Amino acid sequence: MNIELKKFGTALISRQAGKEAFAAFQSSLKDVHEQEDIIVDFDGVITFSPSWGDEFLTPLIQRYGGRFKLMHTHNPSVKATVEILEKSNNIKFNVVE
Amino acid sequence: MESELIPISEAAKRLGISIDTLRRWDESGKLMATRKSPGGTRYYLEKSLDIFLHKLFKIAYEWATNSEPTEIPAPFYSPDSSTFQARLIKMQGLLATVPSAADILSLLVAITGEIGNNSFDHNIGNWPDKPGIFYGYDANKGEIVLADRGLGILKTLQRVRPGLNNHKDALKVAFTEMISGRAPEERGNGLKFVRKVIIENPISLRFQTGDAELIIPKESSDLNITKPKQSLRGCVALIKF
Repeated sequence: MNIELKKFGTALISRQAGKEAFAAFQSSLKDVHEQEDIIVDFDGVITFSPSWGDEFLTPLIQRYGGRFKLMHTHNPSVKATVEILEKSNNIKFNVVE
Repeated sequence: MESELIPISEAAKRLGISIDTLRRWDESGKLMATRKSPGGTRYYLEKSLDIFLHKLFKIAYEWATNSEPTEIPAPFYSPDSSTFQARLIKMQGLLATVPSAADILSLLVAITGEIGNNSFDHNIGNWPDKPGIFYGYDANKGEIVLADRGLGILKTLQRVRPGLNNHKDALKVAFTEMISGRAPEERGNGLKFVRKVIIENPISLRFQTGDAELIIPKESSDLNITKPKQSLRGCVALIKF
């Protein structure tokens, strides 16, 4: 399953908005098969921040572990956010091309 | 402290323009006088002139340090988080057209968002007087200013670090130490993110809370914390790019 983050907006910044996005996405996650990868696509997102990311990406990696992957991006705010989330939560995201 | 009324002659001097030009601006609405005397002399609020001159930091600083909350001009006041988000998105669009900001656009918006949202997340339901934040920017000058009249970093950090007893240490912890565990409140690591971004990019930061002021120069990991002349309860931040 691919999650296109641009569907939540071009500026994914606040904790509150991240929580709302995660809650809204719960129904879609019911369709995920047992072995299926969940891949996050940042294409179209301009600004990404640790507050939003911590509410959306962190619970998903905790739930799906290695099946949860991030699509590679050149967006500097995504890169910086991923690094800070990995450090603060002691986790490592799988990145795919 | 109330903003002073300044006669047109003095206002013209401060702005470096003629009295006639100021009169024309008043008539066209570009910069309107606050009051006219019965004799026809125009008067301007000092604050209006500061805003016109884009002295954003001065206005924010005064608002944050005043013993009583003064009025902030509406365009710079975000009373709640949703207003702030909407204005951040507007800034994102505007900065995309500024050459000096284009490469670091997403990072500027992200660190502004983290600092502003920190104010909302840590003060919600606990604002000592005026809720909300001052948020303004001058894209051409490369300045973004944020301020709040909240509890400040020390008080909010003491909830998870009861041993902290001064603003300097609290500021250092906020910008350098990963704080794990979300109880008793959700606490991100937004200010560590801000520092990381500044270390790696041509962005500088001045940040004050209580009687501690931190300055991180562009592309530097230095954490220079000093004692400013004036103390404040909440936080004031100046991002330069």
